[in-house]
Amino acid sequence: MNFKKEKIMKVLIVEDEQELLQSIVSFLKGSGMTCEVATNLTDAIDKIDTNDYDCIVLDIGLPDGSGLKLIEELQKKDHQTGVVIVSARNSLEDRLTGLNIGADDYVTKPFYMPELVARIKSVFRRRSFQGQNEIIHNELKVIPDEMLMYVHDKLISLTKKEHELLLYFLSNSNKVLTKESIAEHLWGDHADMADSFDFIYSHIKNLRKKITDNGGKDYLKSIYGVGYKFSNE
Amino acid sequence: MKLLNVTNRYYIAIALALLLISSAFLSYRVFYLLDNEISEHMLFEKMEIEKQLSAQHDIQGIDFVIGDKIEIEPLEKFTTFRVSLVDTSRYDSYEQAIVPYRRLSYEQLIGEDAYRITLWKRLSETEGLISGIAFTLLLVAIDIIACFYFLNRWFSKRVWKPFYRALSGLKHFDLHKGERISFQRSEIEEFNTLNVELSKLTDKVARDYQNLREFTENMSHETQTPLAIIRSKLELLVQSEKLDSEQLGHIKSALDSVNRLSKMNKSLILLTRIENDQYNVAEVLNFSQLIRRQLDKFDLFISARELKLKMNLQEDVMLQINPNLAEILLTNLISNAIKYNKIQGELNIELSPSQLIISNSGAPLTIQGDQIFERFKKGDQPDSVGLGLAIVKKVCDHCSCDVHYIYQDEKHVFTIVFPEDKIIEEEEA
Repeated sequence: MNFKKEKIMKVLIVEDEQELLQSIVSFLKGSGMTCEVATNLTDAIDKIDTNDYDCIVLDIGLPDGSGLKLIEELQKKDHQTGVVIVSARNSLEDRLTGLNIGADDYVTKPFYMPELVARIKSVFRRRSFQGQNEIIHNELKVIPDEMLMYVHDKLISLTKKEHELLLYFLSNSNKVLTKESIAEHLWGDHADMADSFDFIYSHIKNLRKKITDNGGKDYLKSIYGVGYKFSNE
Repeated sequence: MKLLNVTNRYYIAIALALLLISSAFLSYRVFYLLDNEISEHMLFEKMEIEKQLSAQHDIQGIDFVIGDKIEIEPLEKFTTFRVSLVDTSRYDSYEQAIVPYRRLSYEQLIGEDAYRITLWKRLSETEGLISGIAFTLLLVAIDIIACFYFLNRWFSKRVWKPFYRALSGLKHFDLHKGERISFQRSEIEEFNTLNVELSKLTDKVARDYQNLREFTENMSHETQTPLAIIRSKLELLVQSEKLDSEQLGHIKSALDSVNRLSKMNKSLILLTRIENDQYNVAEVLNFSQLIRRQLDKFDLFISARELKLKMNLQEDVMLQINPNLAEILLTNLISNAIKYNKIQGELNIELSPSQLIISNSGAPLTIQGDQIFERFKKGDQPDSVGLGLAIVKKVCDHCSCDVHYIYQDEKHVFTIVFPEDKIIEEEEA
């Protein structure tokens, strides 16, 4: 994606579970971000005092207090930092409180890593370009808020699901995305409907056809039984 | 039948039997004594007449001082000393009817002449007496039985009051509310013992239930982080370029299982949340619109299975219900009806102000009837977590709706009956 070349995203991950923290760090680094970590609220507040981050991945349940406090601190400082909350709870009230006091997005444990990456990137896009940006992947160009794609500057319209799928792949290019994670990204709570994997297959087939028919490369690779990957070449 | 009525029934039956037997006996005795009395009286009259007649020589001008009918007829000759005493009947000119009489007749010599003297005594008086006695006895019987009945009721109500109070306490006992039943002390030891034991029992049930609930809640919350870790590690692992297809297959199986666990977890958390009354704020909802909105989300899945969707929705059915619960209910029912449908099967949704019926084609299940709502009962559906319908049931219980399942005409039919007090009339809405 083009904005990666201009600026490497700097992310602070606040999570008290060491193992989960490590996974998030590895995955985000693999997606081309630089990561710093904090395992409690005090450390996290220290970090935001001295550094600027593009995004904070924030666990609400921290050993020394609620992660929501960090958002309050952040707001006092007038940061341009996006916040994605990670919580073990899925209650509506939590979600609303989090979003009301200034978080940008919310994922519930156990979440899919590519989903987290997609949310971080989307938050970053919204914050940095007010959504008026485009994602360029070699000969492909996608405008996030419009269901449009350019292949070699040729305008091609996409369905809503194809568009969502393409954005998800572009946010996680060169990563294996499991079918489950794709299903959940596209259909949320209805991801476990019996036919959702078939739909993914047909959406991917259509998307691939729209790209290759217009002279684009076949980026979409099927990874044996597990999922799909949008390769860089 | 109520305890009071049972005891009353026995009491009344026994009282009736006793009264019948004793009144029969009493009537018999009274009749017998009266009867004897009459005969004795007549014999006494006979002696009186004899005495009075013996003192006379001439039959004319005798002034008899006894009240009954007496006939004196002259005989040619005295034949016997026998006295005949028989019950017969004769015409009574006063009553103008044939009435029963007792007749005493004998022969007597007055001077030289023989006479037959016949005494008649009306018996109808005694019969009237007997029916009078019977009538009085009947009144007494009714009196006694009525007194018995009402006194027994009154006593029982007083005596059994603590029992009925405990019973109504138990009836209103709701584990979900977490309230204790307070039993009142009574003067009766047995009831106090019963109350103490009931208190112990309900306290224990409540404690166990609380523990179980906390366990489920903690368990599902605490497993979320390890699950997140496992999933993240597997997702990292799957990124490796060096994996062969066999290794990828293992990772896929592991991922599948983690997903199953996490789905189960989510459902359990949802169940706990409903139990914990976190969705208690009810609003007036347009259920017809909600169904349409929910169906839209499943559009893709319905058309993919080529389902024949038949909707018979009454417009603007308004219900007082929590919006989250309503959505959970519909999502689970509809997704269930799609998931376990067959290709080109039917999906029928019928909504009236009083009930919602969702049915779908499908093969019969191995599990019976309402068992389908139990947790982890999933029949022969290996992919299912087995909590979707448990959630449906829980939501219905929570909103005091009735939910039923039947299999008929090769269809699975789910009927949800809304409680009357939650149905909002259109005018009000």
